[in-house]
Amino acid sequence: MSDGRKLKIGIVCPYGWDAPGGVQAHIRDLAEYLISAGHNVSVLAPSQDEDALPAYVVSAGKPIAIPYNGAVARILFGPIAFTRVRHWISEGDFDLLHLHEPAIPSLSLLACWAAEGPMVGTFHAASKRQKAIFAIGPILEPVIEKLSARIAVSEAARMTLTDHLETDAVVIPNGVYTKHFSDGKFRPEWGGNTLGFIGRFEEPRKGLSVLLDALPIVARFVPDVKVFVAGPGERENLMKSVNVQLKDRVTFLGRLSEEEKADFLSSVGVYVAPNTGGESFGIILAEAMSAGTCVVASDIPAFTWMLGNGKYGTNFNSEDAADLARVLIDVLLDNKKRTKLATAGQIHSKIFDWDSVAEQIYSVYEMAIVGNGKVRLSSDTRSWNRFLSKGE
Amino acid sequence: MKSILPIAVVILAFLWYLSFSATRLDRLHHRVETSWANLDGILQRRAAVALELAHSEMADPASSLLLTSAAYQARETTIGDRSQAESGLSGALGLLQNDLDVRLTQGEQALLRELSELTEKIRIAIALHVDAVHRTQSVRKKLIFNVFRLAGTAPLPVTYEFEDDVL
Repeated sequence: MSDGRKLKIGIVCPYGWDAPGGVQAHIRDLAEYLISAGHNVSVLAPSQDEDALPAYVVSAGKPIAIPYNGAVARILFGPIAFTRVRHWISEGDFDLLHLHEPAIPSLSLLACWAAEGPMVGTFHAASKRQKAIFAIGPILEPVIEKLSARIAVSEAARMTLTDHLETDAVVIPNGVYTKHFSDGKFRPEWGGNTLGFIGRFEEPRKGLSVLLDALPIVARFVPDVKVFVAGPGERENLMKSVNVQLKDRVTFLGRLSEEEKADFLSSVGVYVAPNTGGESFGIILAEAMSAGTCVVASDIPAFTWMLGNGKYGTNFNSEDAADLARVLIDVLLDNKKRTKLATAGQIHSKIFDWDSVAEQIYSVYEMAIVGNGKVRLSSDTRSWNRFLSKGE
Repeated sequence: MKSILPIAVVILAFLWYLSFSATRLDRLHHRVETSWANLDGILQRRAAVALELAHSEMADPASSLLLTSAAYQARETTIGDRSQAESGLSGALGLLQNDLDVRLTQGEQALLRELSELTEKIRIAIALHVDAVHRTQSVRKKLIFNVFRLAGTAPLPVTYEFEDDVL
């Protein structure tokens, strides 16, 4: 943010602001970072409760829960939302629009359709190539083309974009306040030969069952191994799925505060991310790495990219409990290796720090606004006029 | 009379689609131009930094000579030779950066930091320009754009060779 110019930036969030989620957290941190750098930021988002919104967020209405891509997305579209988007754009007098996830049916897609001028799109999702893309590609292409610059949050998200829409993107990772995690305090009750897991363990794709299946094998070689599970959910549901003989090895901590999360990640021996898919980034890996903890993660594309193919952590064959056990025993019994990976990860995690991430996003903004004027509404009449004048 | 209405609707829809496509192509051409203007601006700044580096203490006389001539070429060459000139400047800067003395003054460190920031920006700017060009090329291949000559007399945009290998 080197030059003195202050921009008026409009950010569109596709998902309900009140629901927890990586995209929302990313937008919140980015908006607050830009505001503290002196820029004028307005975020348009769906929300349940308009009174609970921060001052920079404008509500576009209540989101609706829709099954999309194998998960339930809380998004918003429709004629009323479209009118609100147009109103927000024409009132906002923005220098630039930053649309998140513009390739799904959402506010961002509506904004991309309605606006003309400097626009940056960030693509978060990663998914396998879908058959439906042949049908929706021709609709999406002309819209996505309007973006002056595209950002993908990971190599996996970039591959998804090139596969689906045949367009390239600059990879800029999601941001983490690395200092918050590197400042985490060591708590002895969580330290030692412990394995940490954070997430909604009730969702199968988070892969906790893979870790629990690996636990008996690990326990044979590392007698004092313990597992700590943190995140939303019911203790009974977790304990039901744990083998009776291993009950005293598994502790459920429930939801952690941000402070506790930093301490937790700094204290556990190994952080385990056994996710079986559906991740495009994995912010928790970046957080664990900044805390200086050795990370063991499944080998889904997003995670192998985050761990630099094994340079900053270790990957195991996804959904393979025996392989996870092998990898865990390896790092738990080899302190030198564990420390080496943890140190490499902590150094590497600097690339996820907000200072560096926001700087890169801002240089994309600068490139998008070169010679493009302000953001305005594109109306159909304008293209008609143009066509008629061309025909003469 | 009744049969005219559907025909009129089809014709109107087709005209709308033509106009929509023309706007789309126009926007793409605009994107190619602005992304090139942006890349061009950053490359000019890099040439300016290269000149400053050439005149600083850290460059020995031979590197200084090489850098100066490469920077001038990059700034003043015609568009046809631009690609070669930029590659030359990248090479010259690479040589200097690979072979640096550890004792640097603050001013020199600041110059090098600016250079590495510019390098990062050039990488992004190239990606944006190449993408705009490729999109335009692929859209202009479509039948409707050729039959109705929606591109008019605008030349087909091209990428430059240096964009593949620079930095």
